[in-house]
Amino acid sequence: MNTARQLHAVPAPADSGPLSLFCGHCGKPPAEDFDLDAGSRVCTRCNLGLLLEAPESIAPKPDEAFLIVDRSLAVCALSRKAEKLLGMREVDAVDHHVTELLVPADAESQGPHALSALLVAAATDGGQEGGGKAVVRPADEFGVRFNARIGPCGPTPGALVVLANG
Amino acid sequence: MLNVSANTLRAWERRFDYPQPHRTPGKHRVYVYGEVAALRDALRDGLSISSAVSRARESLRSDTHILVGALASFELERADGAMEAALAMRSVERTVEEVLLPSIAELARRQGTDSAAWAIGCRWATEWLRRAQRMTPPPARPGALLIGDATHDDLDPDAPFVRALELAASRTGIRVVTIPVANRSGVAELLTAVRPGAVVIAGGHDSDDEVARFAYAVRSAGGALPLALFHRHAAGGEQLSATPSLPELPSEATALALAMLDGQALPATRNRRLGS
Repeated sequence: MNTARQLHAVPAPADSGPLSLFCGHCGKPPAEDFDLDAGSRVCTRCNLGLLLEAPESIAPKPDEAFLIVDRSLAVCALSRKAEKLLGMREVDAVDHHVTELLVPADAESQGPHALSALLVAAATDGGQEGGGKAVVRPADEFGVRFNARIGPCGPTPGALVVLANG
Repeated sequence: MLNVSANTLRAWERRFDYPQPHRTPGKHRVYVYGEVAALRDALRDGLSISSAVSRARESLRSDTHILVGALASFELERADGAMEAALAMRSVERTVEEVLLPSIAELARRQGTDSAAWAIGCRWATEWLRRAQRMTPPPARPGALLIGDATHDDLDPDAPFVRALELAASRTGIRVVTIPVANRSGVAELLTAVRPGAVVIAGGHDSDDEVARFAYAVRSAGGALPLALFHRHAAGGEQLSATPSLPELPSEATALALAMLDGQALPATRNRRLGS
């Protein structure tokens, strides 16, 4: 009996394309005089966020709300606009499971597992090319839906969830 | 260390309540190395300042977990080591208030004050505080504080707080003298030698009557002196009801005790003087 393990082809990480820099709090691109080599990623516009990078197609526009989760699906950051949209302060949301803030709102979705799978994939191997999409709503709140773009962000691996009104 | 501006640090202090700097008498902020180092490490791999602050706080809290574990398992050398590690990250005052006192309170909550672990742990804590007080420089500024100790003994849950108050006050450079409130005999000679500028009754075990007799003896020998209470939760009798209470944290209580020595009235409650 041949006990050698069979090799399987695995999909290559999605090609992320050009990257865009944005602040994890105010969502704005870095100030013109910002020097990434200076050793600090703190946004010099608002002083309250770290500069993150994400594929241009997924990165938030300055007027979009977004949040960042890590591989364990714990919330790491809530943008200023997301704080208003979800009615929660970032300091209260950090370290909570993302499903305490957002749950799937698409009747055809496969429940929280599908959303979780999208997020884990984005936070670990980059997720789908061009980013994943999901319809979500605030937990414990009905009648409000957001179209969410989900994709990787970094430099520390994480998943970016950009919320747009559904 | 963090490569951020002073404005950024102040913005973080407002939003996250971290780092928490001390203030010099000139109101300048002085940051604790350990807090800033913990934040620097957390920011390195962080996705946000909020999550980095959360991780930095957690790493500082781990000292308390280690100390509680060491005391609960009677490993006093490990407890000494935990305090050494905590001191590398904080000032003495903050090590006492953020690590030692919370650990002792947690030990009491988990094991009960009638447990062997409490007996060993509480005694270790009071001895640690006494040792730290012995190592403070001799009094360098005018003023002396008389503490009337109204705790039962070293295993009284308030005893570590009273020792911490002695340490915090000593470290400001004033002279601190403590006697049990029951030891009133010869108090006149003590007051002549020490000349305290204020009196603090600390601890809640001894009765109001006992405390009042102590106050009378001090008044008879030393005249009207500002009086305040510290960790005297049971005080509810008329004799002490108008006496101001100091905050529970030794450093905050010390700041108000110094204000009393400077002749300032304590806020919120009437500053009663002995004999008035």
